[in-house]
Amino acid sequence: MIRISLGLILVFALIAAACVAFGAYFSYVTLQTAHRKAIEARFNVTAARIAVSAETAASLGITLPAQAPLADLARREARLDPTIISIDITDERNRVLFSSDPDRIGRADGARAPGTVSRAVENDLAAVIGRIVVRYDPATLAQGEAALARDLTAIAMPALIGAGLATIAIGLLLANGLGRAARRAADPALWPPAARSALAEAEAAHAAAINPAALASTGPKGERT
Amino acid sequence: MIGLRAGISIAIAVVLCAALAAIGFAAHSAVERTIVPAIAAQAESVGRSAAALIENAVTAGVPLDKLVGVNAYLDGLERANVELADLKLVTPDGRILGHAGTPPADPDPPTVITSVTARSGIPLASLIITIDPGVVSSQVHALLVDVAFIGLVSLLVALELVALVVGASSTEALAALEARVRALSRGRLWLHTDAAEKSPLVMPIDAQVARLHERHAHAREAAERRGDTGALVDLDAIGARFGLGAVHAGENHAATIIRPALFLFMMAEELARPFLPRLAGSMATPDLNIGRDLAMSLPIVVFMAVVALSQLPFAVLSERLGRRRGFVLGAAIAALSYVGSALTDHFGLFLVSRATAAIGYALVFVSAQGHVVDLSRPQERTAALAVFVRAIMVAGLCGPPIGGVLADRLGDHAAFLGSAVLAVLGLLVAYFTMPRSQPLTGGAGVGLSDLRAALGAPRLAALLLGCALPAKFLLVAVCFYLVPVELQNQGYSAAAIGRLQMIYPVLMVIGVPIAAHFADRLNARAAFVTAGGLIAGSGTLLLLVGTSPVIVALVLALLGLGQALSIAPQSSMVAEAARHVPGGRSAGVLGLFRLIERTGNATGPAAAGFLLAVAGFASASTLIGLFAVAGALGFALTGTGRRKADSSGPTALSSEGTAS
Repeated sequence: MIRISLGLILVFALIAAACVAFGAYFSYVTLQTAHRKAIEARFNVTAARIAVSAETAASLGITLPAQAPLADLARREARLDPTIISIDITDERNRVLFSSDPDRIGRADGARAPGTVSRAVENDLAAVIGRIVVRYDPATLAQGEAALARDLTAIAMPALIGAGLATIAIGLLLANGLGRAARRAADPALWPPAARSALAEAEAAHAAAINPAALASTGPKGERT
Repeated sequence: MIGLRAGISIAIAVVLCAALAAIGFAAHSAVERTIVPAIAAQAESVGRSAAALIENAVTAGVPLDKLVGVNAYLDGLERANVELADLKLVTPDGRILGHAGTPPADPDPPTVITSVTARSGIPLASLIITIDPGVVSSQVHALLVDVAFIGLVSLLVALELVALVVGASSTEALAALEARVRALSRGRLWLHTDAAEKSPLVMPIDAQVARLHERHAHAREAAERRGDTGALVDLDAIGARFGLGAVHAGENHAATIIRPALFLFMMAEELARPFLPRLAGSMATPDLNIGRDLAMSLPIVVFMAVVALSQLPFAVLSERLGRRRGFVLGAAIAALSYVGSALTDHFGLFLVSRATAAIGYALVFVSAQGHVVDLSRPQERTAALAVFVRAIMVAGLCGPPIGGVLADRLGDHAAFLGSAVLAVLGLLVAYFTMPRSQPLTGGAGVGLSDLRAALGAPRLAALLLGCALPAKFLLVAVCFYLVPVELQNQGYSAAAIGRLQMIYPVLMVIGVPIAAHFADRLNARAAFVTAGGLIAGSGTLLLLVGTSPVIVALVLALLGLGQALSIAPQSSMVAEAARHVPGGRSAGVLGLFRLIERTGNATGPAAAGFLLAVAGFASASTLIGLFAVAGALGFALTGTGRRKADSSGPTALSSEGTAS
C-alpha cells in the first residue's frame, strides 16, 4: 500500500509538472504567433500600399508586367524599413516581375515561404493577377521570440518544479493522513466519532437482544441507545 | 473525509491554477515588453511610408502647402490601421496641413513622429501619429484571455491524466482502503465486497466489521428464537441506519474506466478541427470544379453524415461484438484513417479517409456509450453518462488548440499523424482497462417495428422529439451558426467570436457532473431535462432586448447551463426507457436517440440560415429558442398525464424513467 501511494504521488507530481510545462509551452506558442502577426502587420501595410497602386494601374488597363514603375516603388518602400530584405512583384504563377532586389527578377520562390508576407493583386473582376511579396529579416522575429522564451522560462521553470514539489508534499500529507486513518480504523476504540457512536448503539441493541433480563435490571429500554 | 486520490486531484487542480497564474503573469509582462512595441512599430512604418510619399511630391516640385488630397490619404491610413487614432501633418510653425481621426481620450497616448524633410535635409513638416491605447490594450487583453484558456486546457488535460491513473487497476487496493475509512467516518458499518486483493491495511478493518456483523446476526437469531419482535424491530432499525447486515458493492467504475480511453480517442478527432477546412481547401484542385468553399466543407459533411447514419446499425454491431472489441476495432479503423489522411494529397482519397474515420468514430462512440449503460447501476446511470459526456466535452475543448499548434509546427498533413497516435493510445488504454468483451449471441438486429414499439414506451417519443432533437437543433443553430454570423456582421474577429463560443463548452464541462449528481440524488431526471430545455430555450428571448456581445454571452451561458442540466439525465432516461423495448434490447433505441440528436445537428444550420434570411438574427434565434421551450413543455405535460395514470395503476416506466 505504501509503495502504491508513493508511486501514485510520484506519478501525480509528474503529471502536475508536465501540465505546467504544457501550459507554458502553449502560452509561448500563443505569444509567438501574436508576435509574428504584430511584426508581419507592418509588412502587410507595405504590401497593401504597393498592391493598391498596382490594382489602380491594372484598372486603367495596364497589365502587371507593363507596370515598370512598381520596381521604383518597391525599392523606395524597401529602403524605408531596414528589416525588409526585398519586395517582389510577381505574376499569378509566382514568377518575380519586379523587385527591390534586381537579382530576384525571374525567380519563382512561392508566396508562402517562411519569413515572407504576401498580398494578392486583383483585377476589377477580383481575379488574382499577381502578388506583392515582402521578404523580411528572420532576425526580427527571432529576437522577439527569444525574449518571449526568456520571459516565460524564467517563471515556468520554478513554477514547474514548485508544482511537482507541492504535489509531492500534499500527497505525502494526504497519504500520511490516510495511513493514520487506516490504523485507527483497525481499532474500534479509535474509530471516528460517527462510527464509535454507531458501534455503541449497535452493541447496546445486541446486548438487549441477547440478554434482555440483564438489561431490564439496568434500566428502561430507552437507555439502550 | 477526502481520500488520497480525490485529495490529490484537488491539490493538483489548486497547484496547477497557481502555477498557471504565474505563467499568465509572465505572459502579461512578456506581451508588454515584446508585442506592444511591435504593434507600435506598425505606426512607425506607416509614418515612414507616408513621409516618403510627401517628400517625393515635394521633390517633384509640388509645394508642401499646395498638396491636395492629404486629408483623404490620411483618412485612408487611419481606416486601414485600427491602432492609429489620429494622424496630423504639421509644419514646423504649427500649421496643420492634413488631419484624420480623433485623438484618444487617454491623457498621454503613445505617439510616433516622423519628419518630412527636403532633399537638402531641411525639415519641412512632421507627421504625428497617435496610437489608440484602447486598441492596443484590447489586443493585449485578448491575448491574455487566450493564455488563460491555454491554462484551462492544461488543467483539464491534467485532470484527465489523473483520472487515467486513478482508474487504473493498480489503485484498487487504495480505493478499497479509502472506501472503508470513508464509510466509517460516516458511521456506516457495512461489509465491503471490492474485488481487490485484501491488503494488510484493509484486512484488520474488515475483520472488525465482520465480527460486528456476526454479533448482529447472532443477536437477531437470539431475538427470533425468543420471538422478541421489539428487539427484532430495534435490530433491523439499527442495521438499516448503520449498514449492519448489508454489503456495499463498492465504487462503480463503468464510466471512470472508459473516460481516459474515450478522452484520448475524441481528442484525436478534435485535433483536426482547426486545420481541416484549410487542408481540404488546399487539396481541392481547380479541375474538380466544386469551388473552394464546398471543398472545405465537404469532408465535414461526409464525416457528420457517416456518423449519423452509422448510429443505428453500429449500436447493434457494438452489442454483438462486445463493447471492448467494438471500441478497439473502431479506434483501429480511425487510426488507420488518420494515417491515410496524413499521407494523401488526393481530395477524393482524403474524403474516403474521412468517411472511414467517421465509421471508426461512430463505432467507438456507441461502444463507449453502451459500456457505460450496460455496466452502470440505474441509480448511478445519470452520473455515469455525465462522465461520458464530460470526456467528450473536455476533448472538444483541449483538442483544437493542441491541433492548431501541431499543424503550425508540423504541417496540416503531419498533424493527422498526431491524431493517429492519440487514437492508438485510446485503443491501448481501452484494451487494457475495459472489461473483456461479452458479445451478445443469437441477437437479431433491431427492426423498424422494434423502434416503433420503443417509441410507444411512455414519454420516450416526447423525450426524443421534444427534448433531444430541439436541444441539438438549438445548440448548432444558435451557438455554431447564428452567433458567429451575427458577431462577424458586427465586426468582431474570428478569434473574439471563438472566445465567446467557449462559454458553452466550459459551462458544460463544469455543470454536467454537478447536475447529473443532483439529478440522481434527487431522483428528478425528468425535472432536470425539462428545466434544462426551458432555460436553454428561453435564454434566446434576451436577444429581443439587444444583440450586444454581453447579451450574446448571456444567451450562450444560459444555453450551456440549460444543456448541462439536461444532457446527462436525458441520456439516462433514454437508456432506462430502452430497457423496455421488446426483448430488453437497448442498442436500437440508443442508436435511434443519437440519430435523432444528429438530425437536429444537421438540420439546425439549414433552418437557421433560412430563418436568418427571413426574420433576422434576434427573431430567428428566439423562434428556435421557443421551439426548444415548446418541446420541453410538451415533455413536461406528458409527465403530468403519466402521474395521473400512475395513480390508477402500475406501468412500465415511472415519471423519472426508473422501472416501477
